[in-house]
Amino acid sequence: MNSLVLSIRELHKTFTLHTIDGRTVRSLRGVDLDVAAGEHVAVAGPSGAGKSSLLRCVYRTYLPDSGSVVLHGATGPIELTALPDRDLARLRGREIGYVAQFLTAPPRTGPQAVVTAAAVRRGLSRPDASEAAAAALRSLGLDEALWDVDCGVLSGGERQRVNLAAGTVAPPRLLLLDEPVSALDPANRASALALISQLAGRGVAVLSVFHDLDAMRRLATRAVRMSEGRIVAEGPAEQIAGVTASRRGAASPGLRSEERATREGGASKAPQRRAGDRA
Amino acid sequence: MTVHALLEESGPAADMRGLLDEGAKREIRRAILIAVCVPGYQVPFGSREMPVARGWGSGGLQVTLGVIGAGDVLKVIDQGDDGGVNATNLRRLIAGAAGCEPTTDTRLATVVQTRHRVPEEALGRQQILVFQVPVPEPLRGVQKSVAECARMHAQADYSAMWVSLYEDLVRNGVITRSTGYPVLVNGRYVVATSPVPRWDVPRLHQSAHLNLYGAGREKRIYAIPPHTDVTPLTFSDVPFEVEHVPGARCAYCGSTDTFLVEAGGGYVCSDSDWCTRVSEADADVAGHREHAPLAWLPDPARRAARPAARDIDLPPRMAEPAGEDWILRVDGIGKVYGRGGGLAVGGTGPEFGTAVSPATGAIVAAWDVSFDVAPGEALGLIGESGSGKSTVLRCVVGDEPATAGSVHLATMNDGVTDLLGLDPAARRRLRVDTMAVVHQDPAAGLDLRVTAGGNIAERLTAAGWRSYHAIRRRAAQLLERVEVPLSRMDDPVGTFSGGMRQRVQIAKALATEPPVLLLDEPTTGLDASVAAGVLDLLRGLLAERNIAAVVVSHDFTVIEALADRSLVMQLGRVVESGLTDQLFNDPHHPYTQRLVAAARR
Repeated sequence: MNSLVLSIRELHKTFTLHTIDGRTVRSLRGVDLDVAAGEHVAVAGPSGAGKSSLLRCVYRTYLPDSGSVVLHGATGPIELTALPDRDLARLRGREIGYVAQFLTAPPRTGPQAVVTAAAVRRGLSRPDASEAAAAALRSLGLDEALWDVDCGVLSGGERQRVNLAAGTVAPPRLLLLDEPVSALDPANRASALALISQLAGRGVAVLSVFHDLDAMRRLATRAVRMSEGRIVAEGPAEQIAGVTASRRGAASPGLRSEERATREGGASKAPQRRAGDRA
Repeated sequence: MTVHALLEESGPAADMRGLLDEGAKREIRRAILIAVCVPGYQVPFGSREMPVARGWGSGGLQVTLGVIGAGDVLKVIDQGDDGGVNATNLRRLIAGAAGCEPTTDTRLATVVQTRHRVPEEALGRQQILVFQVPVPEPLRGVQKSVAECARMHAQADYSAMWVSLYEDLVRNGVITRSTGYPVLVNGRYVVATSPVPRWDVPRLHQSAHLNLYGAGREKRIYAIPPHTDVTPLTFSDVPFEVEHVPGARCAYCGSTDTFLVEAGGGYVCSDSDWCTRVSEADADVAGHREHAPLAWLPDPARRAARPAARDIDLPPRMAEPAGEDWILRVDGIGKVYGRGGGLAVGGTGPEFGTAVSPATGAIVAAWDVSFDVAPGEALGLIGESGSGKSTVLRCVVGDEPATAGSVHLATMNDGVTDLLGLDPAARRRLRVDTMAVVHQDPAAGLDLRVTAGGNIAERLTAAGWRSYHAIRRRAAQLLERVEVPLSRMDDPVGTFSGGMRQRVQIAKALATEPPVLLLDEPTTGLDASVAAGVLDLLRGLLAERNIAAVVVSHDFTVIEALADRSLVMQLGRVVESGLTDQLFNDPHHPYTQRLVAAARR
C-alpha cells in the first residue's frame, strides 16, 4: 500500500444564503475519504450530490463547517481546515493542484505564462518552468500559435487544456480534478486522459469528478459514489460506474425536494467567472 | 564727483538717534545670537518700520543698527558700488543714527552692509558683513506654502530643491540659476545666499568674517558664522561653476579675477572700491587672486565626469521562495473622528448599522483592524466607499494620526518599534525607502509641474542619491519597466494622460525598491482599458519582486487580480477575512455575499 496523502474525516459544509432570507443549503453531510500516493479516486454521483463541493472544501475554496482534511505533506500531516490563510496559499501553489471545469487565469495572460507561473509556484526555476510548460502544452496538443494569446479569447476546449496543463505541470502531491475533459473533442480528450493516467505512476494522489463514466473507468483505481452530501458506495471504478449509469436514468426525473435544495446549494456551482468575462 | 565730495556737500546728517530704540536693538541682537548659534536657520524677529520702504534694505538696516556702535566704521554697497543712491543714503542714515564713521574703504570698515555682493577684498575676523535680503526662503521657488517650507527645513527634506536643480539641468544642460544659489550651511540648513552671484558663493565657505542676513519684509534674520561650512547644492557629477566670460577684463583697472558686469559694451568691476584701489595700485592683487573662485571656472571636461559606481543600479528585489514571516504588521488600528476617542466606539459597527457613535456623535471610521503581510504577498482590503479601508491605510502610513493600535515593520528594530510613535521626520524617511504609497489620484503622489524623471528624482534624492547621471539612468530604467516611453521622460507629468500618470507614480514608488508597497485604489480613476493595463503592470511587478503589498479597493476585480488574501470591511470593522478565492466563492458574512453578488454582474 502506498503512503496516505489525503484523509478526509466527517467533513460538513453548509451554505447560508443571507441574500435569500438566510436560507441554508447543506452540501456535505459527513464525508470520510482517504487517497494514497499513486492512487486515483473518482467521485461519482448525480448533480448536486456534493462532488465539486468536496473538492473545493479540500482546496478550501469553500471553508468547511466542521471535520478534518489532512494532507500528508513532505514535512508531516497538515490540517488544511485550520491552516492559516497565508500558509495555505503557499501550500496550494506547491503541493495541491486544482483543475476546475473552467479556467481561472489572471486576465490578459497567455497559456504559456499561466502554466509557467504554476510550475514556478511548484518550485521550478524560471527556465525549467517555461520548458516544462511548453512540454505540457505540447502534450495536450495546444496550437503553439495560441501560447501567448490572452486566455480569455480561447475556446472552451483550449481553456480546459490550459487549465489541465497548469494543474499537472511539475505534478503536485495532490491533484484535484473537477470535470477536466468535459469540453474536449475525442482526439484531445484521449491525449488529456493519457496525461492524467501517467500521473498515478509518478506517485501523485488524484481525487477527481468525472461525468464521463468511460473516462472514470479508464483512469480511476478506486471510486466512490456520493448522494445528498454523503458517500454512499465505494468500490472499483468499474462497479461504481455501472451503478451510477443505471441510476442515472432512474434518479433524474423526480429529485426529492431536499436533493433539489442541495443542487441549488451549488449556487456556488454557478459557472465561475472566466477570464474573458471581465471587462 | 567722488563719494567723498558728495558726502561733504550734503553736510552732516540730521540726528536720527531714535531710529531704533534700545529694546528693539536688543530683540534684534537676540535674534542674531540665535542665528549665529544655529547657522542657516531663519530666526523670526519683530521687523520695525524703517524710514526706507520694505524691499529697499529695511532688514539689512535693522541688523546693522542692531550691531553697530559709535566706535564702528561703516561701509554700505549696492551691487558692489559705494556710490549708488541707495547705498549713499543708507550710509548717511546709519552713520547719522549711530554716530559712527562712514567709509568706502573695505579694509577700514568694521560693518559692511551690502546688497547682492560680497566685497572683493577678503574680510577679516573683526568685520561683519550684513546682507539685505529680498527673499530669505530658499524653498519659495519650489514650495508656496510657508508651513510646508518650515516642515521641509525642520526635517531637512530638501529633495524638492534637488529636483529644481535636476529640472534645470534637464532643460538647459547646465545649472542656469545664477544669483541666490542655494547652499547647505554647516551640513544642515539650505540657505538663500541673498542674491549674490555664484562668483561670491565659494567665499562664504569657512569665511573669517561674520555674515548676517536681514529680511525686513519677511521678518527673518539668519547668519553664516565665521569658519562654517558652506556647500553649494550640486550633483556629485555636475560641478558647481561660477560666472565667467572668457577674455573679459575690467575696462578701468584691467582685472580678470573679479566679478565683472557689462557696461557700455565692455566689462567693469562690480566692486567700485576694489576697482579704484587696483587702478591706484593700492590693493593686494596677489592676495585677492588667491581667494578668487578660479577653481570653479566653467570647465566642460569636468561636467562629463561619470557617476560614482556605487550610486548606480539598485538591483530589484527579485522574488525569492516565500517562507519569511510578516514584514508589516498592523494591530488593532482604530480611527475616531470627533469627541470621545476610544470611548465613542460602543454602539457602532455592522451589528448596529452605523458608524456614528450614539454617545458622542463621533464618526468611528475604523476600529480594531489587524493584519500582517509577508514579503512576496499581497493583501486586499475591500469594502464599499466609507467602509474605512482608506482610513486604515492613511493611519498606517501616518497621513492620519490613529486613535488606537500599532504598526510594526520587521525591518525596523526587529519589529519592536511602533511606527505610530515615530516623529514625522522618521515616518517620512520610512515612506522614502521602506513603505511607498501609490495614491488613487496621481496628483497626490506626483508634482504635475515637474517632469516624469524629476518626480522619480525627488524620491531618489530624498533617499540620498546625488549623482545626476545615476538618477537619470535609474529613472529611465523605471519608466521603461512601467512602459512610459522614454521620449516622455523630460515632459511635465501634467501633460500626461491619467494612465501614464499612474504609471509614473508607480515607478516613483518603486524607485528605491521599498520592501512594502501600499496601493490605495490604484486603478479607480482610470477607464476600463487603461485600468486593465495598470493592473497587469502591478501584477507583474508584485510577481517579479519580493514586495509585500496592501491593496485597498472597492473593486473585487482589482483585489482578485492582485491579492492572495483579503479583508472585507464594513462600517469601519473587518467583517470577514480569508483567501481571496474563498471569499469570492464561499462568502460567509451577509455583507460579503452582497458584495460578491454585486461583482458578478
